[in-house]
Amino acid sequence: MSSEINELRDSARQVMDGSGLAAAENESWALLGELGWLMVSVPEEAGGLGMGLEAACALQIEMGRGLATAPYLSALMSIEAVSASGAASELLENLMAGADYVAASLADNAVQCSASGDGVTLSATLCAVPSADKASHILVSSDEVLALVPADSVTLTATATWDTTRRLFEVELEGVDVPASGVLARGADAEAIAAKLAVLRDFSLAADAAGGAAALLDVTVEYLQTRRQFGRPLALFQALKHRCADLKAQVVAAEALLLDNLGRLGGGNDALLAQAARELACTVYTGVGEESLQLHGGIGMTSEHVCHLFLKRAMLDEHLGAPVDSYPQALAAALLEASA
Amino acid sequence: MTQAQSTDTLRQEIRHWLADNVPSGWREAMTNVEQEAFAQAQRDWFRKLVDAGYATPHWPEGWHGGGRSLAEQKVIFEEVARADAPRLIMFFVSLYHAACTLFECGTQEQQDKYLPGIIEGQVWCQGFSEPNAGSDLASLKTRAERKGDRYVINGQKVWSTMAQYADRCLLLVRTDKSGPPQAGQTYLLLDMKAKGITVRPIHQITGDDEFSEVFFDDVEVPVEDRVGEEGNGWAVAQATLASERGLTLVELGQRMRYSLPMITAAMREAGREDDASLRHELGKLSARVDATCALADRYLMRRISGEEQVGDASIVKLYFAETLREFTRLGKRVAGLSGQYDRGFMRGATQETGNWMVDFMNSYNWSIAGGSNEIQRNIIAERMLGMPREPKTWKLEG
Repeated sequence: MSSEINELRDSARQVMDGSGLAAAENESWALLGELGWLMVSVPEEAGGLGMGLEAACALQIEMGRGLATAPYLSALMSIEAVSASGAASELLENLMAGADYVAASLADNAVQCSASGDGVTLSATLCAVPSADKASHILVSSDEVLALVPADSVTLTATATWDTTRRLFEVELEGVDVPASGVLARGADAEAIAAKLAVLRDFSLAADAAGGAAALLDVTVEYLQTRRQFGRPLALFQALKHRCADLKAQVVAAEALLLDNLGRLGGGNDALLAQAARELACTVYTGVGEESLQLHGGIGMTSEHVCHLFLKRAMLDEHLGAPVDSYPQALAAALLEASA
Repeated sequence: MTQAQSTDTLRQEIRHWLADNVPSGWREAMTNVEQEAFAQAQRDWFRKLVDAGYATPHWPEGWHGGGRSLAEQKVIFEEVARADAPRLIMFFVSLYHAACTLFECGTQEQQDKYLPGIIEGQVWCQGFSEPNAGSDLASLKTRAERKGDRYVINGQKVWSTMAQYADRCLLLVRTDKSGPPQAGQTYLLLDMKAKGITVRPIHQITGDDEFSEVFFDDVEVPVEDRVGEEGNGWAVAQATLASERGLTLVELGQRMRYSLPMITAAMREAGREDDASLRHELGKLSARVDATCALADRYLMRRISGEEQVGDASIVKLYFAETLREFTRLGKRVAGLSGQYDRGFMRGATQETGNWMVDFMNSYNWSIAGGSNEIQRNIIAERMLGMPREPKTWKLEG
C-alpha cells in the first residue's frame, strides 16, 4: 500500500475516532461528501481523485472499525456505475459531492428487462438496498442492463435487520418504464460494469469485515485486561490469551490477503481476487464476533455494551453480496478448472 | 531494464533451467528408499542448484549466486515450487541458519572459513533443543567449560535434523549457571567429526528418521569457533531462528499454493470433483493458502524495510502451521480409506506428497518445531496484544 493511501487511512481513522462508534447517519453522510471520500476511486479525468479501489477499501476498513452508518458502499457502486458508463458529468459531480444519492443493492438480484421504445421496462425485487429512502434514484444492474430508476417509481419496504448500523430496504419495480436517458448501459457493456460492481462490492465487504474484526478484537482484549476474576485480570489466563492470539493471526491474515489482492487487480482475475478476500475476511469477522461475545461473558449479552453491534454487523456482512456459500464454491470451481 | 523486466527475464531463465534439470520422477525415486539414497539425491540436486546460482540468492553480493533482490528471490522460489522441484532439506540449515547466522553475527575470519564449505556442500545441523529444553529453550543445560583456548562440551541435544549427515553443528550451550536462564549461554560452531560425539537417529511416526539425538562426552571446540561473546549466545540464536521465518515461509507458502492441485487431483481420482461439501472446504482452504502467501510476502517486506514489529514473525508461522494442517487434513479426507493404507513414505518432499496421512503427520513439524504454536500464541498475546505474562513462580500444592 502506498504512503498516500496509508496517510488517507490514518486521517480516516482520526475522523472515525472523532465521531465515535456508529455515529448518526446524517452526520456521517455529510462527512463523506465534505472529505471527498466519495470521489477517491473515480478517475481524475472524470473529476475524481484517481486513487483506485485501494483507497476506497482503505476508507472502508476504517468505516468498518467505526461501524459507519452512512451508505458508503452503495453510493460508491452507483458512482462507479455512472462513471464507468460515461453518463452525464453533472450527475457524477453531485454524487461525488454527496449532494445526490443513488442507492444500489448489495445483493445479487434477478432483473427482468424488456425493450420499450428507446428505453426499457424493468421488473425486479432488489434486496439489501441501503438507505433507499434517502435516494433520488435506484441503480438497477444486471448482465443485460444498467439503469437509473427514479425513487418515486418504485415501492420501498424497510427490512429491519439485527444490525442496526445499516438501514436496508427491499425495492420493488413492477414494470417500470425507463426512458433511454435513464439507461446507462446495455448488453455486454452492462455485463462488464456489473462485474466491476461485484468486484467493488466484494472487496468493500472484505474491507468492512477486516476493519470491524480488528476493532472488535481490540475491544475484547481491552475488556480482558480490565475485568478481574479470581483476583487477577482475565487477560492473564492462558486459555483466553491463546484464543485472542489465534484471532489476531486471523485478523492480520485477512487484512494481508485483502491488501495483497487489491495490489493484484487488473491481471484478468479480479473477480476471484475479490471473492477470496471477501470469503476470508467475512469468515474471520463472524469468527471474531462469536468468540468476542463468549470472551466478554455476561456483559456481552447486554445491549449497552458495543460487542453485539460488531457481532450483528459481521453477521449481516456475511450475507451481503452473493450468497455466502457461493464464495468458496467459486474459488473451488476456479481451482478445479485450472487443473482440469 | 526496469525491475519488472529483470524479474521477468529471470523467471523465463529459471523456468527453462528447471524444465531441463529437475530430476524426472524424483518423487517416485524417493519413495520407500533408504536414507543414503535420499542423501545422495540431495547432494546431486544441491550441486546443480548451487552451480546454477539458484541456491544462494539470499546471500550478499560477492558470494556465489548472491546479491539477488527480494523480488528476484521470490521469483526463484515461485518457479522452484511451480516446477515441483525437490527441496534442499538436507542443506536447509547450512544455506539458511548457518549462513544467516555467520553473515549477521560471525567474524570475517569465521565467514571466510565456513561459507565456502557451505557452497561446497557441507551439511550443517542445529543443536538447540534438549530433552528438558524444548519450548523452554532458555533452560538448556548442555555445559561448555572453558579450558585454555578450548571449550569442553558435555550434555545432550535432541531433534537435530539431519545430524547423522552433518559435518558441522550450530550449538547452543551453557557457560554460566548463575543469573537468568537466557544469560550464560554461548553459541559455538562444532565439528561433528570431533571426538566424543555420538549421533543416534530417532525413528519417527512416519517411518522416517530425519532427526537425531546428539550426545557430547568431553567434546572440544576451539574458542575461535565461538560466535559472538561468551554469554551472548541467546541473542545469536535469535538471529539463527529468524532466518527461517522470512524467506523460508515465502517459499513454503508458494509450495502450498502450487500443491493445491494435488487436492483437486485427489478429488477427481475419488470421483468426487462435484462434491459440494469438498468444494466448500477447498474454496475456504484456497483463500487461507493465499492469505498465508500474502502474510509471508508482507512480513518479508517489512523485515527488509526495518518495519518489523515483535510478534509479526509469530503470526506468519502460526498461520502457516495451521493452514498446512488444514491442507493435509482436507487431502486426508478426500483420500478416504485409501489414505489410511500404509504405502510407505517419500523422503524430502516436505508436507505435500499426496500421501496424505504422512503429510498430515509431517505438518506437526511446523506446529511444534522452531517454537510451537503455543509459544507463538504466547508471543502474540503478550508482546503484540499487551496481555500480561503469567507469574513466574509456581508452587506444588499439598
